[in-house]
Amino acid sequence: MRWIAILTVWVCLAPVHARAQWLDYPTKGIPRTADGKANLSAPAPRLPDGKPDLSGLWLGDQWGPAGHRPNPLGNARPSPPEMLPWAQKVFDERRANSIKDDPEARCMPQGVPKASTLPYPFELINAPGKLVMLYEMYSLRREIFTDGRELPKEFINPSWMGYSIGKWEGDEFVVTTAGINEQVWNIDLAGHPHSDVLRVTERLHRVDFGHMDILVAIDDPKTYTKPWIMPMMRYTLLPDTDLLEFVCEKNIDPQHMVGK
Amino acid sequence: MKLALTALTTAILLLSARVFAHHSFAAEFDAKKPVELKGTLIELEWVNPHAWIHMEVKDESGKVTKWDCELGSPNLLMRSGWRRDSLKKGDVIIVNGSAAKDGTNLANAKTVKLADGTRVFNAGSSGEPGTPGAPVQ
Repeated sequence: MRWIAILTVWVCLAPVHARAQWLDYPTKGIPRTADGKANLSAPAPRLPDGKPDLSGLWLGDQWGPAGHRPNPLGNARPSPPEMLPWAQKVFDERRANSIKDDPEARCMPQGVPKASTLPYPFELINAPGKLVMLYEMYSLRREIFTDGRELPKEFINPSWMGYSIGKWEGDEFVVTTAGINEQVWNIDLAGHPHSDVLRVTERLHRVDFGHMDILVAIDDPKTYTKPWIMPMMRYTLLPDTDLLEFVCEKNIDPQHMVGK
Repeated sequence: MKLALTALTTAILLLSARVFAHHSFAAEFDAKKPVELKGTLIELEWVNPHAWIHMEVKDESGKVTKWDCELGSPNLLMRSGWRRDSLKKGDVIIVNGSAAKDGTNLANAKTVKLADGTRVFNAGSSGEPGTPGAPVQ
């Protein structure tokens, strides 16, 4: 009888346990509306020094249920890339091949800024002297140095995610990244190429509590005739959840990717 | 539970066809080759970068063929309400999706439902690459 009682209690509690996982663990200390939901239109939080606090989990709008918000006009208007002949040829070949040779299909990192365009959230974390950027997909990370250093003159070890420094310009956090290696194949989902002199500028603006815009400028004179601006990337905060582990543990796609 | 699943279905439908995963859809699958597979689940394989449905499909002559159907990643599926035990071995399921271009018994699953039609999950990896910042349809 006692066992039945214990079992009954356990069975009744089981669904509670099932729901109480970190997929939906409530974030503490965030503004909420009367119904308990995160108030995404509350003002952007500020750090003790008065700068906007960018921390949180962010997901690109086009991947969320609300869809992509219309882009603002004005200086955020994108300028299409004008490729040098070699780059145009590479780009056209990639499009004709359905981008089958993207190393991402072999679980290689996506590089900057492509990593920020994927259907997985990233988390921004404030730390002394740096802003840490954790990407869920492939568990990639970036450190954006805010300790006043400049970019190195030379990159002795070009890397997949490059070398980043960040500075405030008003309420915009401006991240400059260089030293991205040439194994990074495409800088966006469309398949645009790059060279070793690529410099990426990301302007992060937390519009309000629940929304952030990132405007990306591409400067790569070996690949493009002039610097260009990508369509604005817009993000919505994911409250009450955490990043999940992502290890590319079993990938059978490449053997089936025929392209055309 | 049923209400939760209905809500889930609605949420997942909103995500459908936009769930790009880690590779180009068009490089591997042919959107013009739709397939409908009705069969028995061998295993829901819960691995990144894609979960897989392994199933047995019987044709009119009784011949059994094994099919592998690609889903989104476990992470995306979990956020859409799937769990690793959402489907069980022996479940009779109907998968609608697109066949692989290389002619193997491989498909990209767009929707998965149980034989009685009560549960419909729609969380494949069939989005098309586009330009960052633009909606990817």
